[in-house]
Amino acid sequence: MSDTPVAAAPVDVDDERLAYRGVFQRLLVRPEIGAIIGAAAIWAFFWAVATEFGKAGGILPVLAVASTLGIMAVAVSLLMIGGEFDLSSGAATGTLGIVTILLVKDVGELGGAGLSLFIAIPLSLVVALGLGWFNGTMVERTGLPSFIVTLATFFILRGFKLGFSKLIIDNITVGRIDEGHGYDFFVKIFGSTWVRNDHQFEARDAVYTIGILGGIAVLVVAVCELNYLRKERFNPAGLGIFLAGLAGIVAGIAVLHSTDGTGANAAAGVIMAASGIVAFIGLASWRYAPQALEAFSLPSGVPVKVAGGVGLVGAGLLSAWQLDVDSQESVLDLVSGFRWPLVVVGGAFAGFVAVARGVAKISGPDTAENAHGLFRVVTISIASAFSIYAFMFMTTEQGLRAILFGLLILAGFVVLGLASTGAGRTSSTAKSIVQMVIAVSLVALAFFIRGQSGTPKFRSEVFTIVLALAILMVGWALTSARFRTRSDIDGDADKLGSRLAIGGLVAVFVGLAIKLLFTTDAEIAAGIPRAQLRVEFLWFVGVTALATFVLGRTKFGSWIFAVGGNKDAARQIGVPAARTKTQLFMIVSVAAWLVGLLLAFRLNTLQSGTGNGLEFEYIIAAVVGGTFLTGGYGSAFGASIGAVIMAMSKQGIPASRWNSDWRFAFLGAILLAAVIANNFIRTKAEASR
Amino acid sequence: MSSLIELDNIGKFYGNIIALQGVTTEVHAGEVTCVLGDNGAGKSTFIKILAGVHQHDEGEMKLDGESVKFNSPREALDRGVAAVYQDLAMVPLMSVWRNFFLGAEPTKGTWPLRWVDKAKAKSVAKAELAQMGIDIRDTEQPVGTLSGGERQSVAIARAVHFGAKVLILDEPTSALGVKQSGVVLKYTLAARDRGLGVIFITHNPHHAYPVGDRFMILNRGKSMGNFAKADLPRDELVRMMAGGAELDQLTHELESTAEGTDR
Repeated sequence: MSDTPVAAAPVDVDDERLAYRGVFQRLLVRPEIGAIIGAAAIWAFFWAVATEFGKAGGILPVLAVASTLGIMAVAVSLLMIGGEFDLSSGAATGTLGIVTILLVKDVGELGGAGLSLFIAIPLSLVVALGLGWFNGTMVERTGLPSFIVTLATFFILRGFKLGFSKLIIDNITVGRIDEGHGYDFFVKIFGSTWVRNDHQFEARDAVYTIGILGGIAVLVVAVCELNYLRKERFNPAGLGIFLAGLAGIVAGIAVLHSTDGTGANAAAGVIMAASGIVAFIGLASWRYAPQALEAFSLPSGVPVKVAGGVGLVGAGLLSAWQLDVDSQESVLDLVSGFRWPLVVVGGAFAGFVAVARGVAKISGPDTAENAHGLFRVVTISIASAFSIYAFMFMTTEQGLRAILFGLLILAGFVVLGLASTGAGRTSSTAKSIVQMVIAVSLVALAFFIRGQSGTPKFRSEVFTIVLALAILMVGWALTSARFRTRSDIDGDADKLGSRLAIGGLVAVFVGLAIKLLFTTDAEIAAGIPRAQLRVEFLWFVGVTALATFVLGRTKFGSWIFAVGGNKDAARQIGVPAARTKTQLFMIVSVAAWLVGLLLAFRLNTLQSGTGNGLEFEYIIAAVVGGTFLTGGYGSAFGASIGAVIMAMSKQGIPASRWNSDWRFAFLGAILLAAVIANNFIRTKAEASR
Repeated sequence: MSSLIELDNIGKFYGNIIALQGVTTEVHAGEVTCVLGDNGAGKSTFIKILAGVHQHDEGEMKLDGESVKFNSPREALDRGVAAVYQDLAMVPLMSVWRNFFLGAEPTKGTWPLRWVDKAKAKSVAKAELAQMGIDIRDTEQPVGTLSGGERQSVAIARAVHFGAKVLILDEPTSALGVKQSGVVLKYTLAARDRGLGVIFITHNPHHAYPVGDRFMILNRGKSMGNFAKADLPRDELVRMMAGGAELDQLTHELESTAEGTDR
């Protein structure tokens, strides 16, 4: 006909609203990010209040609980992304386990089938597929909401479980699977365990440390790669500086490990900090394009805010220190008469103002502001959780001390953060200087915590984390003042950055896994409790990985998102919507079959009530992991993190010696927070016209 | 100029309701045929017959000279007739490239290890959009972040890429502002220039006139005639759309017969 229109026009003016989103903003719209932050916060919370939570003996049981829950949560999240629910999924786990056992048994009034496990297990898989097909076909054919259809299936299964168990063996406890032929073969697949105390690895802590530190270093490089503009030509001198810095860090670690003296430790710390900053600058000058130094200018108000922030942090440190040294009763006497109303009203007001401000920021139009707002809400939520914990100990002096200290420190850092944002509006140099002030305050905080607290948890771990944060902040401030932030997409850099990020995460997880799975002579001598990892966890990891691959990388994955997001559009474009949904129901029932077998091999006997009522936990885990109740958006990986969160709350509340009746209140609060966060992400992702 | 689609006295009844009757028109490659009509004029029925959602009850539809009746949207799509619906065009929470290739994802590897060739899909989507003059910075961004006009444009580019010969646009501009409508009209012309036969359905004569080569006006399920652009001044088109009076209709019907167009 005629020639094609101009290709690849210069940046279209219609794109003006689609500014390049930086690393952190892009991360924030991922569905699983809220769950990861939440998991870290909840873990930190239980870690602070329950001694077991920092140790392998506390983590492995959490993973065990998370595994069976997580396999189902991942499958349910796929179904929910596809826009449907399955209320029969909980009961199905028990049903399919019981079906397998009943097929194996050869006793009872009806004689029993007495099949070999080699036949019974595939047969129950067929039952599972049929169950999923039934759910899916009913939903698709009748056009009724899946909520109602699967609610009916739930009751049917519940009745069958009870009815058949009583009919066949006249008992509501169905066992035992180990009577079946082929048990020795299948127990390796579905029921084997790894007992930590039986596996020694003397170099464990070295591997762990190298894995964690190396992984974090790679992650830092990845973030730089994603954030800064690359140089046209790399500067080899920078590479030299970078390597020298790395060598310095290694030397510091070596010094730290070879000596025991306080002086040498401090020297090693200084060497490591300085080398870290050198390495950071070396990396930046090797790879990234520098920017002209901007004129240093401060908007009015920033110096006041900096002074105010530093003052607040100082006041916090001073007050905590003073309360500790001076007579404690005097302060309590002062407020004892109106202590409760004072704390309640003051705390509620502070919390309300802070959250309202954060939410106001979030709902604004600017992405950078949104990121700050969300960050603020998250930090405030974590801080509030700690404050509530402290509040429970209000009868002691430590409670008042913690609240005063916490509020002052938090207020100080919030004011400093505001100052940094304000300074950033006029000059990046000024912003960096304010960030330096924040870093120095963090260092002061770290050393204060080390000096004041008696428990090793705070003396070593919190101290290290806060100090590392301060070092990262200094490095970041130095480089972001001198180097240009990328403002466009660079395919190569993005690819390298995301690969490095994955590599770094893998290194960190390998380090953690080694620490969790092995023990040392010294630990056995000290008499650690017996801890074990069950094979369920491997299944959990495998199912999560498979589901993530399917969702992200296959046709079927695209179709799941499409049928959940806009079924009519999907059908219009040629996606077999009904078939896709039916297959999703079948995936859920196959997951239930797997979980049923895992439970049967773990417990050997199953109650007829097994699994009833757990379907809502699967849905909560999926929603906490960022899956929308309305379908079309979510992540399998997020759902697995959601399951870990649920497991932590199940295990953490008794571990903290609280009444476990509170567990459901806790779950409800988590669910509400997750739904609010998801809603926010949805409006972001759908921001239209 | 050969005609891609010929409709001869097409009719559609829902029970005793006559939704469409005696509609005759032609769609030519490289031309934009505008179908105008007020609400209830039978525009949606008209599209649905062309796109295979419904089947006509009388008359004949010819595709490339061959008599056809589409049983499903998929069949119509396979024959090169693609419809872009105003609200059904895209899955808003999915990325641009996933939407672009939805239902026809390029894959590599063999089953069961067959996965979507993401790099290829992304680069093809980007290149194809650029061909149409749509510049998307990152095909990974969700379609929901695009403006309404851009979404329609991506849907148009998708139909073009998958070998559509006939492109049906259902009220593409009705929910859009002035500027966004301009964007969509631009891409409509880009599709026409690539040799597609475009059917542009709208109730807005101001949007139809600048892009249309031929016009068909529907009223209460009946065609008020086919007009070439040269025979129909803009004011006339506006008046035909705006004039609700029976007298006006009668006059135009007489006029069109006098001018010797199709009816």
